[in-house]
Amino acid sequence: MRIFEPHAHMFSRITDDYEAMALSGVRAVLEPAFWLGQNRTHVGTFIDYFDTIIGWERFRSQQFGIHHFCTMALNPREANDDRVNDAVMEILPRYLEKDSVLGVGEIGLDDQTSKEEKYFIAQLELAVTHDLPVLIHTPHRDKVKGFARCIDILRDMGFPMERILLDHGNEETIRVTKDIGCVSGFSIYPGTKMSPTRMVKIVQEYGVDGMIINSACDWGVSDPLSVPKTVDKLLQAGVAESDVSKLVWDNPVNFFAQSGRLDVGSMDRPAARDLASTYEGNSVLRGQDPGSY
Amino acid sequence: MSSPLEALTASLAEPAAGWLAASRARLAREGPGLLPVLFPALARRLGRDLLPAGLHRDGAMLVETGAWRRCDAAGLALAEDCAPDDASLVDLFLHGDMEERIIVLRALGLLPITDGTIRLLGEVQRTNIGVHFEAAVCESNLAVRALEHGGWNQEDLDRLVLKAAFLDVRLPRLFEVFDHVGAETSRMVQGLATEREAAGRDPWVDTNRVVARAPVDGSLERLRRGLADAREEQRLAAAEGVAYLRDAELLKLAAERIDHESSESIRSILAAAVTRA
Ligand SMILES: [Zn+2]
Repeated sequence: MRIFEPHAHMFSRITDDYEAMALSGVRAVLEPAFWLGQNRTHVGTFIDYFDTIIGWERFRSQQFGIHHFCTMALNPREANDDRVNDAVMEILPRYLEKDSVLGVGEIGLDDQTSKEEKYFIAQLELAVTHDLPVLIHTPHRDKVKGFARCIDILRDMGFPMERILLDHGNEETIRVTKDIGCVSGFSIYPGTKMSPTRMVKIVQEYGVDGMIINSACDWGVSDPLSVPKTVDKLLQAGVAESDVSKLVWDNPVNFFAQSGRLDVGSMDRPAARDLASTYEGNSVLRGQDPGSY
Repeated sequence: MSSPLEALTASLAEPAAGWLAASRARLAREGPGLLPVLFPALARRLGRDLLPAGLHRDGAMLVETGAWRRCDAAGLALAEDCAPDDASLVDLFLHGDMEERIIVLRALGLLPITDGTIRLLGEVQRTNIGVHFEAAVCESNLAVRALEHGGWNQEDLDRLVLKAAFLDVRLPRLFEVFDHVGAETSRMVQGLATEREAAGRDPWVDTNRVVARAPVDGSLERLRRGLADAREEQRLAAAEGVAYLRDAELLKLAAERIDHESSESIRSILAAAVTRA
């Protein structure tokens, strides 16, 4: 089954992950700009990171046949950091125009501070200016309250709900998102949070309309194959193949196609796989003969 | 033939034409600071359709537009409109995605040489992205113009030829660069060829053409072996090299090779070289 993985921080993963994902049916990944595990101290490291996810990381992904897209943002954690927050806001307009940028994200609330709210709102305004959908990170702590606060802000702004993906949802939040008409994202993590089995129950109860699933894999304990693994569990449980396909392909594709920058037809084939080429002097093949591949 | 901009104007329909006109008007008001926002949108707003192929000359500048797309011509138009300073031009490349970088590099072919051009040629010399290398030096006479301008020197050109060899880009594609190879160029490409052969890989096909222009230690032996190489393209390069160099010993060997040579075109190159001797 063809999979659009709508939340994966491939920047933190190795080539084996790309290879396994491609073999498991992942045809495209979306890489939201995020927190790197520790705060950055100046805007230059953001610029380098943004350049990487539109450049080198995209190239790396394409070598494995996987189309690579991203969303750009100042993440909620570093919205609290005055060393970088305003400066990142200044460079964002340039990056929000890049062709492979399909949305603003991940933005939202983490500790639910007033600074987080300020930059959340400012970036929702950027999404309007650049005509992009939005990927919202909902808090891992005090989730229900944070979720409600995000929705209040969106309502106050009159932001079109169909252009919002509220991520890291669970059984409690699904009821809310269903009502307001935004897309609900579920991050399937090993051990904690959502497991594939929990996801099967949610699909059986609520169907797949307006839902997407992702691995949110990053530098922590996470599984870049959690979407294909959930696909297997869903099919085993008797969920119709067409519904599963909708969940892992049509829904994320249609959501991000709202950017007007997603050439859906180009994903009928794997991304051009050019193992002979290298990027900026760094050979991924490190001198092996490309002809032997 | 018509300039890329004329070709672009002729090929644009709405809404692309309107977007470009509005962007140029905005650029006139706001200045080069707007380029970082306009460049990433060029490909999706104007399309990637190819413009008519052909050679276009503008003074000393010569470009081959066979790979130019609408977005490339539009990028050139925007750069010509606002004449960005070197810092802006280099910034557009360094913080551009793959596509924007191609647009910037193609535009250089029809812009005056500046310190920014020289800096970007250095970036291109270090990249292993084939499309970027080609956009900068295989689609215009930019490298030779830079050499004549003076900001760039023979050492830079040698490194560029070596990079072409590394990327397996044919040297004739680099416009007049062939006419500027020297002994140091030969030493470098010969070294790469030897290294590749030791690893069981094919040497760059133009190696013997380069070393024949400026032979160094080992070049004659390389040409001699090339005449009897099992690979036809290597024999062809050696035959052309021998015909160019006109070394008496090699011509004698060429005369002996004619009867053993299976390719008719190589036989005629060898025969012509021997007859002239
Ligand atoms: Zn994330």
